[in-house]
Amino acid sequence: MGVVYVVTSGKGGVGKTTTTANIGAGLAKMGKQVAMLDTDIGLRNLDVVLGLENRIVYDVVDVVQGRCRLKQALIRDKRFENMYLLPAAQTKDKTAVSEAQMIELIKTLRPEFDYIIIDCPAGIEHGFKNAIAGADKAIVVTAPEVSAVRDADRIIGLLEAHGLSEPHLIINRIRPRMVESGDMMSVEDMLEILAVELLGIVPDDDSIVTSTNRGEPAVLDEFSRAGQAYRNITRRLCGEDVPLLDLSEKDGFFSRLKTLFAGR
Amino acid sequence: MVITGETLTEDTALVARTLRSGQKVRSAGNVLVLGDVNPGAEIIAGGCVVVMGTLRGVVHAGAEGDETATVTALTLLPTQIRIASCITRPPDGQPTPDVYRPEVARLKNGEVVIEKYVVSK
Repeated sequence: MGVVYVVTSGKGGVGKTTTTANIGAGLAKMGKQVAMLDTDIGLRNLDVVLGLENRIVYDVVDVVQGRCRLKQALIRDKRFENMYLLPAAQTKDKTAVSEAQMIELIKTLRPEFDYIIIDCPAGIEHGFKNAIAGADKAIVVTAPEVSAVRDADRIIGLLEAHGLSEPHLIINRIRPRMVESGDMMSVEDMLEILAVELLGIVPDDDSIVTSTNRGEPAVLDEFSRAGQAYRNITRRLCGEDVPLLDLSEKDGFFSRLKTLFAGR
Repeated sequence: MVITGETLTEDTALVARTLRSGQKVRSAGNVLVLGDVNPGAEIIAGGCVVVMGTLRGVVHAGAEGDETATVTALTLLPTQIRIASCITRPPDGQPTPDVYRPEVARLKNGEVVIEKYVVSK
């Protein structure tokens, strides 16, 4: 039976879809059976980031409304035959699917896959509630910005209220130089407020822009720093003990991170 | 999302958790928080508020007009403190100190003052 993760953040633009795509592709590369589910109905992106946009025939709304079978809507990835995407509809809105339908859908997917990764839309309304309805565990993505951390805090509170306590945290787009000069919130600053388990930190990396535009997840690029961070995150999800990525050429930041990791 | 704490005594509510952004506690009496109060969280109490953690959110003590109500926290870094009908916020642009000590906010001559928390014997 598979584990169902929802990737959420509250704030838009912090990297939910990129994180979903990279964790999904990372797990698939490790040989796991993976399904990714885009719940951002009306503003779908996951298919683009995975480079599968031109293969969509049916979507999640067609499935729950009985216009097609689940197997017909699931798109097999072009790189991994053990990775599938259930795309969102683009011409509908969030109310086209209900929480009960989502739970039912995930119940059908669960026996077929090792991991089901749900890409949650921004916000805390209907779309958020749909996305978390069938999830076992939550991954909260945030960026080193005060507003993103505020929203992550709010989301963690809402997740707890819906029975998804102890979410994992991914801190995205860290820029070590700016942290060192005191111009950016540090990992410690963010953990002090959010007080949840850190799953990983992802450095700000130009190659992410290229890879998302090309539809090639960075996790598959051996030379990408962000890709390395996502590979580590995937291994941690599989239960391996992987130290946090060395973000800096200088010792200071790394030794601080090491103390942080050892202190967990 | 309004959280009602457990009843500790007849006039004090106990909140044994960290209050996150968007969470709100209302009580006619005192409120004791065992955890932090994060930015965006709110406590409205008829009596005093004690936070055994870091207070970063908004607190209103003496919300029904009690001017003797106080706000105490192990680390006092509030967004805003309100006592009875008086509102105050930390001065703009002040750097945050490295070491924090327990502090208490109370009304003196119609102004909120922050003092080091001293145990009265």
